[in-house]
Amino acid sequence: MEFFNLIADSMPLLLQGVQKTIELALLSLLLATTLGLVFGIMRVSKKAYLQVPAKVYVSIIRGTPLYVQIIFFYFGLFPLIFGRATSPITAGIFVLSLHAGAYLVEIFRAGIESIDRGQFEAGRALGFTHGQTMRYIILPQAIKRMIPAFVNQFIISIKDTSLLATIGIAELTYSAQTIYAVNFKAFEFLAAVGVMYWVIINALTWFSHWIERRLSAV
Amino acid sequence: MIKVNDLGKSFGSAEVLKHINVEIYKQEVVCIIGPSGSGKSTFLRCLNRLEEPSTGEVWIDGKNIMDKQENINTIRQNVGMVFQHFNLFPHKTALENITLALLKIKKYTKAEAEQRGLKLLEKVGLSAKANQHSHSLSGGQQQRVAIARALAMEPQVMLFDEPTSALDPEMVGEVLQVMKDLAREGMTMVIVTHEMGFAKEVADRILFMDGGSILEEGQPTELFLQAKQERTREFLKMVL
Repeated sequence: MEFFNLIADSMPLLLQGVQKTIELALLSLLLATTLGLVFGIMRVSKKAYLQVPAKVYVSIIRGTPLYVQIIFFYFGLFPLIFGRATSPITAGIFVLSLHAGAYLVEIFRAGIESIDRGQFEAGRALGFTHGQTMRYIILPQAIKRMIPAFVNQFIISIKDTSLLATIGIAELTYSAQTIYAVNFKAFEFLAAVGVMYWVIINALTWFSHWIERRLSAV
Repeated sequence: MIKVNDLGKSFGSAEVLKHINVEIYKQEVVCIIGPSGSGKSTFLRCLNRLEEPSTGEVWIDGKNIMDKQENINTIRQNVGMVFQHFNLFPHKTALENITLALLKIKKYTKAEAEQRGLKLLEKVGLSAKANQHSHSLSGGQQQRVAIARALAMEPQVMLFDEPTSALDPEMVGEVLQVMKDLAREGMTMVIVTHEMGFAKEVADRILFMDGGSILEEGQPTELFLQAKQERTREFLKMVL
């Protein structure tokens, strides 16, 4: 009983953390999707000047840990470029977007390449440009197939926000840390935080299944 | 209508088309026959640059499609293409397959596009299927929608790449019938086909291709009954 009282007392602070976590995840995913789409289309291009930058981006980001990227940008590159520390939130969203974006490039690439070549040819033969064919014919079909992989990346990104605690962003994990730093109930609060992540992620999973069902009904 | 000068195509070191010269006239129906791997489909696909020719020129309606000054997308609007595997857009209904290019390229209003789309569906005998998605249509129906889709752009020429090869035998007739109607209306058509009966009946001229070249050409009766080349006679003996 004591456990629940303890958690209930800290609930306002934890819920603030939940809110921040969701905000960070949503904003990062929005930016990451844009990055993923742009670089994904570059990645499937036959032109080297488009394809190579996309490959380099994916290779660097996938080849290094997110934790290292967060530290590198926040403590290293950003102060060097801007001459002062940037806000942790800006840096955090930047790095998370950049990171998830690289994985989304591959998801977009796989989605686009899974569409039969004949679809592309049918579009071009009608007189659509490359861009129009992508937009009206290939992407609508590819995105439908991408949804499970996309949701998977979304889930990973939600959990990745917890690493932003290292640069002092008051998301869920950081909120718990500040609480148990005072009352030393680390075990209880980490358990509570775990449950809260679980609820967020499973709500999202349920929502995505609902979307998938609706789309496949069409 | 179409003039091909010394067309060549290589994939790496493999030369699949060699020095092709041919002219196709307005309202003419030309069938291309020949063994598989002879370059028939590649040749057809060079005519709208779905396949990039390695050498030579292709003139369509007075425009050199290899000329970088010409907009290939505009030229393609003038050249309809029908594929072996239909390639209908599965996320669209039969009607939407036809109206998509009208809406997005020709900037028709929705009402204009649908009116034209329905007219074309009627022409291929599929008015009743307008709102069905392609996966619920039979192969023959899909191919007829694909023909209607190509006709929507009001092309000057129609290219057919083995339009009945992927169909169950009982559906070949309905597709060929639509093509015969088109031929009768005076559409210029280039057809890669294995349907010798159809070629004999509808074609004004037949090109026999082998090994990446046009080996022989002529009117159906003369080619089918008295081919000059030994290779042509051999091929026809196998398929007739």
